[in-house]
Amino acid sequence: MRKNIVIYLNGSREEISAENSFMTTAEFLRYKKGLTGTKVVCSEGDCGACTILVSRFVNGKLGPYKSLNSCISFLYLLDRCHLITVEGVGEISHMHPVQESMLKCHGAQCGYCTPGIVCALAQMGNDLKNSGKIQTEKKVKNYLSGNLCRCTGYEPIIQAGMDIELDKVETFESIYDDKEIEKNLALLDAEVSISTDKKSVYLPKDFSNALEFKENNKDLIITSGATDLGVVENKGKINIQKSMTLNNIDSAYKVDDTKDFISIGAKVSLTEVENACERDFLEFSKKLHIFASPQIKNTATLVGNIINASPISDTVPFLRVAQAKLKLSSKSSSREVDINDFIKEGYKQLDLKQDEVVESVIIPKTQQKFKLYKVSIRKDLDISTVTFACRYKLNGDVLEDFSLAFGGVGAYVLRATDIETKAKGMKFTQENFKKLSLEVRNIITPMSDHRGSAEYRYQLCENLLLKFCDEVLSETRGSIVEASI
Amino acid sequence: MSIGKNIAHDSGASHVTGSSIFIDDRVDSINEVFVGIVTSKIAKGKLLNIKMKRALAHKNCLGVYTSKDLAAKKWGAIFHDQPILVEEDISYFDEACAIIASDDRSKVLEIVKLVELETKEEKPTLTISEARALDDYVYKAPKPFSQGDIKKGFEDSEHILEGEFICGGQEHFYMESQAAVAIPVENGQMQVHASSQHPSETQRVVAEALGVPFHKVVCVVKRMGGGFGGKESQAAPIAAYAAIVASKLNRPTRLILTKDEDMKITGKRHPFENTYKVGFDKDGRILSLKVHLQADAGAYTDLSSSILERAMFHTDGAYYLENCEISGISYRTNNSSNTAYRGFGGPQGNMTIESIIEDIANYLNKDAYEIRRLNIYEGDKTLTPYGQELENNMLPALFDGLYKSCDYQKRLSEIEKFNNLKTGKIRGISMSATKFGIAFTARFLNQGSALVNLQLDATVQASTGATEMGQGVNTKIQQIISHAFGIEPKDIIVMSTSTEKNHNTSPTAASSGSDINGAAALDACNKIKGRLTELVKLIFSGVESDAIIELEIKKGSLDPDIVFENNKVKQLSSGKEIDLKELINSAYFNRISLGGYSHYKTPGLGFCKDRIEGKAFNYYTQGVAVSEVQVCEYTGDLKVLRSDIYMDLGRPLNPGIDKGQVTGAFVQGMGWVTTENLVYADSGELKTYSPTTYKIPNIQDTPRVFNVDFITNNDNECNVHRSKAVGEPPFLLGTSVWTAIKHALSYRADSKQMNLKSPATGEEILTELQRLKNGK
Repeated sequence: MRKNIVIYLNGSREEISAENSFMTTAEFLRYKKGLTGTKVVCSEGDCGACTILVSRFVNGKLGPYKSLNSCISFLYLLDRCHLITVEGVGEISHMHPVQESMLKCHGAQCGYCTPGIVCALAQMGNDLKNSGKIQTEKKVKNYLSGNLCRCTGYEPIIQAGMDIELDKVETFESIYDDKEIEKNLALLDAEVSISTDKKSVYLPKDFSNALEFKENNKDLIITSGATDLGVVENKGKINIQKSMTLNNIDSAYKVDDTKDFISIGAKVSLTEVENACERDFLEFSKKLHIFASPQIKNTATLVGNIINASPISDTVPFLRVAQAKLKLSSKSSSREVDINDFIKEGYKQLDLKQDEVVESVIIPKTQQKFKLYKVSIRKDLDISTVTFACRYKLNGDVLEDFSLAFGGVGAYVLRATDIETKAKGMKFTQENFKKLSLEVRNIITPMSDHRGSAEYRYQLCENLLLKFCDEVLSETRGSIVEASI
Repeated sequence: MSIGKNIAHDSGASHVTGSSIFIDDRVDSINEVFVGIVTSKIAKGKLLNIKMKRALAHKNCLGVYTSKDLAAKKWGAIFHDQPILVEEDISYFDEACAIIASDDRSKVLEIVKLVELETKEEKPTLTISEARALDDYVYKAPKPFSQGDIKKGFEDSEHILEGEFICGGQEHFYMESQAAVAIPVENGQMQVHASSQHPSETQRVVAEALGVPFHKVVCVVKRMGGGFGGKESQAAPIAAYAAIVASKLNRPTRLILTKDEDMKITGKRHPFENTYKVGFDKDGRILSLKVHLQADAGAYTDLSSSILERAMFHTDGAYYLENCEISGISYRTNNSSNTAYRGFGGPQGNMTIESIIEDIANYLNKDAYEIRRLNIYEGDKTLTPYGQELENNMLPALFDGLYKSCDYQKRLSEIEKFNNLKTGKIRGISMSATKFGIAFTARFLNQGSALVNLQLDATVQASTGATEMGQGVNTKIQQIISHAFGIEPKDIIVMSTSTEKNHNTSPTAASSGSDINGAAALDACNKIKGRLTELVKLIFSGVESDAIIELEIKKGSLDPDIVFENNKVKQLSSGKEIDLKELINSAYFNRISLGGYSHYKTPGLGFCKDRIEGKAFNYYTQGVAVSEVQVCEYTGDLKVLRSDIYMDLGRPLNPGIDKGQVTGAFVQGMGWVTTENLVYADSGELKTYSPTTYKIPNIQDTPRVFNVDFITNNDNECNVHRSKAVGEPPFLLGTSVWTAIKHALSYRADSKQMNLKSPATGEEILTELQRLKNGK
């Protein structure tokens, strides 16, 4: 068992001391390595100034370089990763084509968000080079939706993205000799245990290790991408003392796509879920597109989003109407549970035993259709005010089957069974949906907060039912139906 | 040589490689101390006692300091009414009450929490209407801006509308939060590195807090990670906190606010609640207008009086008001002390009249552009409500040019068709304008300075009173100097702004940084050039110096026959030339000064607010924008489909930098009027204090189609190289997104008067739509 964290930083091996392992990666870079190009602005993974690129060693190989928010990522979560910071992207004497383009197009004004923007664009350059594709304005915007800039209005940055000379891009895989790094990382024991007098973390190399450790340490917290735990720890709201992370378990990164279901492992990132669901759950995949920033999605997991049990989770409404199942394992047993039973009434109440670990999420494939809506103050990169998810089946003009869930309207993501019952067998008309929408007020209990008033949330839920109705009618008729709003 | 060229930002290369040094990127000093701020948890009341025992017991705590440790208790940009640290009266939630020092950066917040404040809570005033009921204000304009006869104007009007325009505040959200490093130097001197738009103010506040004369403090500003007005006045107390600890412990000290702390503690853009009464004829010609502006100053005066005045100066927008009366008051509340923010009240005044015009259009069932075009300053109608003539009026050309180039008429008719389809989405289009007055309205601030030092290898180190916050002032100064000496921009470095090189500097604000400091730099160059010109004429005439004879020059003056170009100095009449470097060396060996300091003041300014007469502004930067939006009727969701901007920037010193200022300011303005919503708890505590909850525009929010163009104007003779200031004016154009939303809603208003507030969040839009549809 290894007793330290090992990373590669801009091509050089770093063995991290126990104390430093619990720092955020941004703090380590800035205050231990003097790599102050990486900036910290919000400390909550929302602005992207701390963006770096990370390639993770899984199944004997370094994976693609992906952007990550270093301000909320504990260093131990990046064991066996290669980190590239803005300094590693290029230097003044030898700039990366992304940097040259940013300079030429006035993509930097004050310069504070710039290193993060450069890293995010450098990922795009690397991906495009590796895939032989070229940039589009849409791609540039998508790669940068996790980077806030207050100076430029983004226009010069978009131009910089479009003007990158791809033929001059050398991939990071070639610049940094990934093969050599892989060879060295392969020599490391994947099982790691680190502790200081205040904190400890265990990185098992397989699930049996993990389950045994959980059995003996029921009070530990499992950290995964830490896209939420990292924030609350940064803001001093919690202090994670004992933790375990499944990051070094190769099998946890597995997606199993069969005829009947897609099974998503505990460590599968939301970016990968978005790709995995594109064929069979396009509506879900599209929602994941605006779910969060690339930086967050590259490290956050679907399982993490479920276990976090937030009432404003963006994935749970879909998973509830899709009747997803969770595979829960402990040392002594294993079970599959419907997510609708797993999520219990009340704030953050789950049917999860103290010795259990979620191994995977199983989404059954269905012929039925989905509609998912998310309303937030800002369309992209924002926490929802209200989410709406439904699965439905029409038989002629009759709504034969209907499942409905709302997020952001109570202490947990709500399955609207009363409305489902009334809707099933109902004729699919605007009049009927208008009547149905009036039921919303009887079942949800939203609160007023900085994202919106309770009244606004009531109104949204009613209107989203109408929107659903109008959209389905337009789709079935093949022409736009006059809105019922 | 490089004036008007699109050269890269002078810090661009270091920015994109992450090697630019900001305050917290400075290498830690041995023995460095870190500071934290303890803030109040009530919005109003008495601070009875500060219990510091638990904090002092922490092994990393080096001290806790309170107002008792300050030589001067108060500071203020205009009036000294704001405590540096609360003495007794708490006036807003999260007001600084004490500071702590720690030898460990990671323990600062932990120690802050150990300091306990004993307070007695009083009922706070949190809104403008509450303050109005108490008649509690920080400033009231002594006299309204008025013109003509409003009484008669209303009598002559066929139609009269009354209403209000309400807009919220705005967090600056500069990426680099407030930060300072203070280093004690020998004999009671203090060196302060601050992220400040106003080094001289920072120097003075630090000196006063320490109780030392000004000459013992130097404030250095290398750059800021954004300012936007938020570091004009409010950077000073932050630097004072660092300096107090540095002085007490005699150790280098660093204070870096977290984004959360910064957003909670510092002031914001002023919210306004304005009322109006407008009279107009059947075509929409404004015959009479009465507007009363009411600002929320927050807890202290800060810059509120000047901000209110600038709001009044811009309530006419781009429109001629024959009969008008514009009055204003800035109320005191228990919110954080609101401060300068790009536009400085201008947007709040300007948007009021743009909103009124949308109301008139909706009432008359006409297109708002027609109303706007009918009312703009044109021909002999160029007298503003404050008695200044609008000279070099570009508004008619801007309006007509953009109307045509953006295909307004065709798009409007398409929008009408689209909205009639009732798809659940409605679209709107609107033009808004800016005629932004350039000059500080406090005349004494319109002075700049520059120090230009020519080295023997024909490179230059220059320093000015301007601070660099990303806006490119240093690049423009680099270009001015490059042009003056005929050398490459790369051969000039604009050094850190420092009060030991440029003293009594004005804040880099009011869009004026390049105007006043650029003009000073040009003059400093010309002083050196004058001497070199005289010298080169001697050399070309064959005079030589030796051990006995030294070349003597008098005062030196420029001569059109001598030109500085491509690192050479040429005499046109004779065709003779010399390398600039050789000439410089000759000057050095003949003991001729190669340094130039110059001071510049904007001429001809003077405005009396008691008599409402004189000249408030040097000139106006003008522009127009058309935005088209789409609103979802189910959710209130907004999409900005297209924005076109057309501006008069004179002859831009650097078109690339200016375009970046335009797009940046526009999107920031768009954020202010759409998603940037400050929400407070009943206690007065800010609930939206980080990017998770406070939503500035994201890259996906920018207009889907975004065009920027500049009109040709070679006639702005009253500014350096005929350029125009650009920092703030385009911010006002972002409001075209809001007026376009209002236009969209008018399709469901059935001519009912609209009450849309700013910001038009999804909730605001949906609520207003619902109200209009329900006929309330």
